[in-house]
Amino acid sequence: MQYLIQLLISGLAIGAMYGLIAMGFAVIYKSTGLVNFAQGEMTMITAYIAWTISTTVSGNVFVVAIGAILAAVVLGLVIERLVMRPMLGEPVFATVMVTIGLAVILRSAINFIWDAYPHGLDIGMGRGIVHLGGIGVRTGQIAVIATLLLLLAAIWAFFRYSKVGVAMRAVAADDRTALLMGISATKVHALAWAASSAIAGIGGVFFALSYDLSPAMFQLGLKAFPATILGGLDAVLGSGLGGLLIGITENLAGGYLGSGMKEVAGFAMIIVVLMVRPFGIFGERDIERV
Amino acid sequence: MIRHLAAASLLLSTACLAIGPAAAADPGITDTEILIGDVEPLTGPPALLGVAASIGHKIAIAEANAAGGINGRKIKYVLEDDGYVTARTIQGVKKVIDVDKVFAMIGISGSGQSIAVMPVIEKSGIPTVIDVAPVKFLWEPPRKNVFVVGQSYEEGIIHLVNFLADKNPGKKWGLITQDDDYGITVRDGFDSVVKAKKLNVVYSGNYKKGQQDFSSDMLQLKDSGAEVFLAGGIIGENIAMMKELEKLGIKPVTGIFWPGRIEPVLKLMGPAGDGIYAVDYVEPFAGAAGKAFLEKAMPLVSEAEFKGINRYTMTGYAAAKVLIAAIERCGKQPTWACTISELEKTRNVETGVMAPISFGPGVRFSNQKLQIMQADTATLSFKPVN
Repeated sequence: MQYLIQLLISGLAIGAMYGLIAMGFAVIYKSTGLVNFAQGEMTMITAYIAWTISTTVSGNVFVVAIGAILAAVVLGLVIERLVMRPMLGEPVFATVMVTIGLAVILRSAINFIWDAYPHGLDIGMGRGIVHLGGIGVRTGQIAVIATLLLLLAAIWAFFRYSKVGVAMRAVAADDRTALLMGISATKVHALAWAASSAIAGIGGVFFALSYDLSPAMFQLGLKAFPATILGGLDAVLGSGLGGLLIGITENLAGGYLGSGMKEVAGFAMIIVVLMVRPFGIFGERDIERV
Repeated sequence: MIRHLAAASLLLSTACLAIGPAAAADPGITDTEILIGDVEPLTGPPALLGVAASIGHKIAIAEANAAGGINGRKIKYVLEDDGYVTARTIQGVKKVIDVDKVFAMIGISGSGQSIAVMPVIEKSGIPTVIDVAPVKFLWEPPRKNVFVVGQSYEEGIIHLVNFLADKNPGKKWGLITQDDDYGITVRDGFDSVVKAKKLNVVYSGNYKKGQQDFSSDMLQLKDSGAEVFLAGGIIGENIAMMKELEKLGIKPVTGIFWPGRIEPVLKLMGPAGDGIYAVDYVEPFAGAAGKAFLEKAMPLVSEAEFKGINRYTMTGYAAAKVLIAAIERCGKQPTWACTISELEKTRNVETGVMAPISFGPGVRFSNQKLQIMQADTATLSFKPVN
């Protein structure tokens, strides 16, 4: 039983990281109809900035957290303004290709700005081990699960009750009508990129805290994307939950079926789920696919 | 007009005859410089080895140039980035040979990349010394113009597992490897010792390249009761495994392989990495030879490059020293044929960073002596085990 619980806790922790990044994918898709293939790279850049803040400015957790979130927001806004906005109205294929190009540039930037060595993000907490009923868990793992749940609740409330959230939903539903209603689609897009970058960046920072920081970190985007597909490409909350499902499935498969099955299990589950619900577990039926 | 053209042609022909020996010489060599080409991963995660190896080449070249170059000719280093993508390695090698027209090649990316580019190098006939990823395919069968400095992955693993088996008789073993050619080589080496020494293997895992979370794998290892563990990851994977074992509260005797034997790994592993064993054929930086190498390197590279030094810098340095020495022995007019012949005559060349290097007739592999090292977290270094 302890074996199972250990697998579930580890699965939830890594799944929460996938979930946060998956939510980043979904926020952009929901607001702009675009799949951002540079999501993993943006996550990685934010984590590297957090590490730079921790080593050059202050290792205080609040300084690092606020600095990283602000940096992620700026990164999202800059990308939207300089790279994505000029692509407005262009074919979706061309826009998607731009995000792929952006991914390559951001990936290479790591070596130019930082280096290829692995680094540890040390903010004085998150690495300690606590024992819950004889099971060792890192405090960072508990924190990432709690953060995901908090963000899920906050985002639900944001879309449900705030004016900006309703405006974003309106643009996602029908941008032309939203425009006629006085909603600025470009502002909504900018906000979506900023929010997506910040949410995914939080996932990246937690990953760096639990594992390490290296130029291979962009691969998190590849793991989180299936979570978005599973939860629903247009379902922000569903993508977060999709991450948890992928994390748990991977760990259970790895623990009971063998190491080799770990990476396969998540994708196998996606195939099965998509055969039954092609728009994802929480997605809306009328998705326009890329 | 025709008379003028004929006169010009005659003049041109005479001029060509006059500079005949230079025109007939192999490419990449002028009166003042010799070009040496290299293709390495300078971006992406494998840049950790590509950048470090190129720094090693630069140190050896800077050292030779400071001493007057090769018989008066300065060495110019032409470096291309392949991003660890095989197609780009082939493209890069073709570029440095056909466009930059280098005189010799050195380094050449990872194992898969160097294997893929071998037909191009072999066909060109250019003298080449490989140092980053020594794999058997590169010297078996021997190729006339290709020399490999290092030791085979398989021999390295056999040496490490034999050492750990002798030190821990009767213990239960665990192994995890990557699902690629590197992992297969590690597993083959491990299996050969398992068979010979009848080791009791209770856990055998195989992870997909790029995997970052090893919680379920290490939980299985713990559940199996393994007491000696061969961590077949490279860098990030081994760090993740050791931290996972720490979380699970177990500390098996652990061995890692040289691609992951870089000092920053120890900092990231923290106390979990203390005492892990590693095998390598280059000197540890904590030893006298390692310290001497760092002292030598400091004035020859930039501050940023100095920070990028790791074990691959030593392998790169040694290979470049061997190549430069061979060209130098060819005298004032080095050619490809002479350089290859002199490389073949390489006997006990001291580089200070590994055992003396030798090749021979039909021997294209230096077969370096291996040594076992142990991690010391307090000093963040690997120390030789006697």
